Amino acid sequence: MASILETALAAGAFNTLLAAVDAAGLRGALEGPGPFTVFAPVDDAFAALPPGTVQTLVDNPPQLARILKYHVLAGAHGRTDLVAQSEWPSLEGAPIPIRCSEPFEVKNATVVTADIACDNGIVHVIDRVILPG
Amino acid sequence: MTPIVSTPGVRTPLIPPSTHPYAEVIHRLEAGGSMLPDTPENLQQIIGIYKAYAVPMDFYWRDLLYIAERVFLNPLPAFKYFISKEYLDLPNSYAGDQSKLRIWRGGEKAHPELLEFMERGETRRMPKLLHHLWHDRVNMEFAEACMQAMFWHQGMGGRFNDFLESDVYKANADRAIKAYFKGNLVMLGLYKLFPDMFMEQVKQLSFYANLGLFWEVMAPVFFEMSDLYDEGKLTSVPEAMDFLVNGIFAVAGRPIYHHVFIRGECFEIIPKSEGFTWLYEAALPYVEAVFYRTSPFRGTKSYNAQAYQVPADQADFHYGILYADVFPVGSAGIPPTLLMQDMLHFLPPYLQELYKQHRRGEEDQLIQLGITFQRSMYNVTSAVIQALRCALLYPLDDTDPEHLAANRRFFEAQMDRFLRPEARLADIQTQDYR
Repeated sequence: MASILETALAAGAFNTLLAAVDAAGLRGALEGPGPFTVFAPVDDAFAALPPGTVQTLVDNPPQLARILKYHVLAGAHGRTDLVAQSEWPSLEGAPIPIRCSEPFEVKNATVVTADIACDNGIVHVIDRVILPG
Repeated sequence: MTPIVSTPGVRTPLIPPSTHPYAEVIHRLEAGGSMLPDTPENLQQIIGIYKAYAVPMDFYWRDLLYIAERVFLNPLPAFKYFISKEYLDLPNSYAGDQSKLRIWRGGEKAHPELLEFMERGETRRMPKLLHHLWHDRVNMEFAEACMQAMFWHQGMGGRFNDFLESDVYKANADRAIKAYFKGNLVMLGLYKLFPDMFMEQVKQLSFYANLGLFWEVMAPVFFEMSDLYDEGKLTSVPEAMDFLVNGIFAVAGRPIYHHVFIRGECFEIIPKSEGFTWLYEAALPYVEAVFYRTSPFRGTKSYNAQAYQVPADQADFHYGILYADVFPVGSAGIPPTLLMQDMLHFLPPYLQELYKQHRRGEEDQLIQLGITFQRSMYNVTSAVIQALRCALLYPLDDTDPEHLAANRRFFEAQMDRFLRPEARLADIQTQDYR
């Protein structure tokens, strides 16, 4: 089985996310044994942010890391697990709300593909970048 | 307007209309509008005042950083408003060719109109000290009042305040304090006797840095809006609001930090690596503290706290510009009037003309521009509300009724804050309020 980052690379739809992970210096952490649950926004999700948003974050790695950590949970949690409780603590510290009924939503993003199993965790593909608050 | 789905010949609302007392405003927000009605005069007023605000703001942010980074704990800071040449020329991180994010066209140095005013003031060219003593200068006291509002209210989201209580912060501040007073046995002795007092001062200085870094961004944004309006490229109030929404996103990740320079050495009291951001640690607390809360201004009106005329809960404070009765506020020496006086110096000609045509003309320009400022800040607050909706909730054209209902609940909760009688939201719906 591939790791979280290898899976994302192979999918080809997470170029911005992977570049952001590198810019934030989180590659090492995400290549570790974990396990992690990653809510992975597709490239279109980053492209939908207003001009300059991603650039400012990429220019400032600690701030970018904070936003990326909001997309990660400790432990490997599949959809069945996640919908059992309405909030999960992100690695950033702020809670991530989960919609417990259909459709499967994470905060204000919709999960387009759930439960992609990887060596060091589980990936859920989302259609929007989620932000704390 | 209620969100609708268009099918040929039929327009069916996905959710029923709001029954909130401000339903009209809520429907306007749901249609992508602002709390401020979209009229040519409202657009002219808010853009004109953004320009007049941006010029003194260009001084505020520079001097706030100068005080936070250089004046620091000077026990007699009599010259803290005498900004150094270095800070007057400090390149704006978000304007000028050296900027990494070049989306606003302004230059990196202090605005020419600001430099001209600092030279001549309202009176004439004379030494800086005389301008200062005659109070013919930019009113930094306003900027400090805003900083104090942020410092005093605290706990308004973000992680800034938590960090100020941390051991890491205390250790960083301790190093800076000891370095600053190195060789000064009196001050070091006082620090040993009253460490908390010194720590509190450093915390306040961290808020100077916070607000300076926040306004460093807003000044070029407002200049850009004024330029776009003059070129006919900003043609409606919602466009002006959207410009602000995009600006909020563009710089949301800007680091908020506090560095101090002592004898050529940089002490990172709040390092950039803490990950504090412009949006969470500066902009949102600023809006809450300054637009909504602040505190009763001394000298304008007596409040009896024991009769509950001042809320027991700080979160219920409602003395910000969104609630201000601009007329009694217009007394000399209090913060909003200081700002009005600052903006008066830089009003574009079209606003001067407008004020001459209404009420008492030039006689009550300060009041009229205060109300213009109130309109413009309702528009900025609308931009913040729409940015939060965009970041945390759903698009306005979403087709899921549950999502639209969540947006509705958010907008209604925001409007609930304007149900108290002091709010000016109802007043700004008409042009008669001047």
